[in-house]
Amino acid sequence: MSAVLKKGRKRPAAPARVPDLAARLAPPPAVPMKNPGLSRARLLELHAFMRLNRMLEEKLSALYRQGKIVGGLYSSLGQESISVGTAYALLPDDLLAPMIRNIGSLLVRGVPPLTLFLQFLARHDAPTGGKDGTLHFDDLERSIIGPISVLGTLIPVMTGASLAARMRGETRVALTYIGDGGTSTGDFHEGLNLAAVLNLPLILIVENNGYAYSTPTPSQYAVESLAAKGPAYGVASESVDGTDVLAVYDATRRAAERGRRGEGPTLLECRAFRRRGHAEHDDMRYVPKDLIAAWEKRDPLDRFEAFLVEEGHATRASLRAVAEGFEPVLEDAAQKALASPFPPPEETLRDVYYEAT
Amino acid sequence: MAAGRKGRGRPRAVPRPEGPARPAGRLEDEDMPAPDDALLLKMLHSMKLTRALEYRIERKLYRQGKIVGGVYVGRGQEAISVGAAVHIRRGEGEDRDDIVSPSHRDMAVFLMQGVPPERILAQYMGRSTGLTRGRDGNMHMGDLRHRLVAFISHLGDSIPVAAGCALTFVMRGTDQVSFCFFGEGATSRGDWHEGLNFAAVRRLPVVFICNNNQYAYSTHVTRQMRVEHVSDRAAGYGIPGETADGNDLLAVYDRVGRAVRRARRGDGPSLLEFVTFRMTGHSAHDDAGYVPKSEFEEWGRKDPIERLQSALLRRGLVDRPALAGMEARIEADLDEAVAWAERQPYPEPEECLDGVYHEGGPGAGDRPQGESTAWR
Repeated sequence: MSAVLKKGRKRPAAPARVPDLAARLAPPPAVPMKNPGLSRARLLELHAFMRLNRMLEEKLSALYRQGKIVGGLYSSLGQESISVGTAYALLPDDLLAPMIRNIGSLLVRGVPPLTLFLQFLARHDAPTGGKDGTLHFDDLERSIIGPISVLGTLIPVMTGASLAARMRGETRVALTYIGDGGTSTGDFHEGLNLAAVLNLPLILIVENNGYAYSTPTPSQYAVESLAAKGPAYGVASESVDGTDVLAVYDATRRAAERGRRGEGPTLLECRAFRRRGHAEHDDMRYVPKDLIAAWEKRDPLDRFEAFLVEEGHATRASLRAVAEGFEPVLEDAAQKALASPFPPPEETLRDVYYEAT
Repeated sequence: MAAGRKGRGRPRAVPRPEGPARPAGRLEDEDMPAPDDALLLKMLHSMKLTRALEYRIERKLYRQGKIVGGVYVGRGQEAISVGAAVHIRRGEGEDRDDIVSPSHRDMAVFLMQGVPPERILAQYMGRSTGLTRGRDGNMHMGDLRHRLVAFISHLGDSIPVAAGCALTFVMRGTDQVSFCFFGEGATSRGDWHEGLNFAAVRRLPVVFICNNNQYAYSTHVTRQMRVEHVSDRAAGYGIPGETADGNDLLAVYDRVGRAVRRARRGDGPSLLEFVTFRMTGHSAHDDAGYVPKSEFEEWGRKDPIERLQSALLRRGLVDRPALAGMEARIEADLDEAVAWAERQPYPEPEECLDGVYHEGGPGAGDRPQGESTAWR
């Protein structure tokens, strides 16, 4: 490098700003939502999970600001439709591995809000016993495999889980999530390629939310849509509007059927936007303000509620009642969690190494 | 370093913006002339020299126990190495010369970049005048004076390295190109994915050259990927991908030439797949018992050297006596090269720790004052 400088040539330049960033990350034109054949009761249940997801995260965010959350908090604001829509399309014993923005998937699987509060507040009764925060826990009884912090690494794990299921003659499919940034990791490639070669029932949900921490998608990949990655592996792929919970649900359901029929993996890109920072500590000043405003108008919960009212499945009042019903439940769970103890210091070294019981 | 940067003015913008701002571009749109007669003969010579040298190493010296370590040959794949390496710009100076990361079956690339056969033989025989001075065997060698990045054993790891080389060209604003060779097995590796994606996003001047010889050790290509062609993977990165007959020198010459033109112009990387066959085991110790005999027979009939030779004979560019003369000269040269290599000393035991860590000299340790010799 010094050789270059000595000869008076120009030194390395900073990476260029993406010139038309706002235009390229803007929401695509909205297509009206369509019921894929769900009953009224199921539609309302789907809505309830999304509302619960949002309210739970709002509560967690308030606790974070009070300094009560231990560790990071990763919001899924504007992406609840993806967590809920995908998990809702699975059967209860299908293998599900959430990532950090998939509280909604856990709620659909029946993880109680109290468990989540305990976990985020690092209390002794939490799944990790207060030793790790966020969603870093398994719940094998609910067929939930815990997220791995190192993005992308969960994909080969789920490829392996789906291989195990097939070897045991089960018809379970395995579903996991990755962000737009995670698609650039080597593990993504190796896991998806192996699932393709072995024709495994893996469903890979790519939550394309525009940013991997501060890296916008035009700096992450050079394809128009991440669905373009599917054919590169010989894998079925599709891109759906991630703010349309019904589209997400329907595409996941089809992917699961494909997997159960033995037709191999599916890559499903769900396009949405990360309307908060990477985590709660991040003020995301690197995101253009008008972009956030544009995506706020595409809020998945607002869209779904408008759909439910228009189609006559609910009224504004009945939808408000759902939220009002959750409020005391969540408050009660939060208070219970806040009142529960932290892990005792002498437990620090427990579960570090395997101990025969 | 900091002092040297003072008053250098504002950094200029990277000339190749990120993302798919313009269509990926098709290789067939490039204007690529066919090679002239002299070049054809030169390429034939390179292919023959490569095969003869590898024959000596694999079939003679290895069996005589004179080779230290493994032997990986590219028999039957010479057209790919030669047809690609002929496009590498060399001998024009630091700002002009291209750089190349060969795979372990690209002996021809080393020869064409100017490494003499006797030094390759010394390398295989673990002598102190080999490229790694007797510290490593076979193809684990490089020489930046010949613009050869040392082969990395972990297949796939050289892809991000090649992309990084290309990034330096972009940062320095030159029109140099990074050539990167690998097999189809490497395309399943995470490093391959990361390197290719980075090159695509930054639109780096890399030509990715895959020799699809259908076996990664004992894994058949159908167990390696679900897509039909390695080039199908290109669509996942937004770059052009193309498949051609790897035993047809002219096809390789043509495709690589187009990809190089594209890269030099600043239009980014291409992924080229050349279908061929590994006419040997994974290495000299492997009897390839897992490969059906019929496949060897079928691909033996498609030998790239035979093919080029008969085409040149038909066109009257060479005759049988001229070919015999070429072969005789190669054999005589190799006799001399082997004799030279056998006379070379092994490294001294006390040199064992040399070159493990950087030790002074005009290298990385004192860069602020001196210039790196690494690129000389």
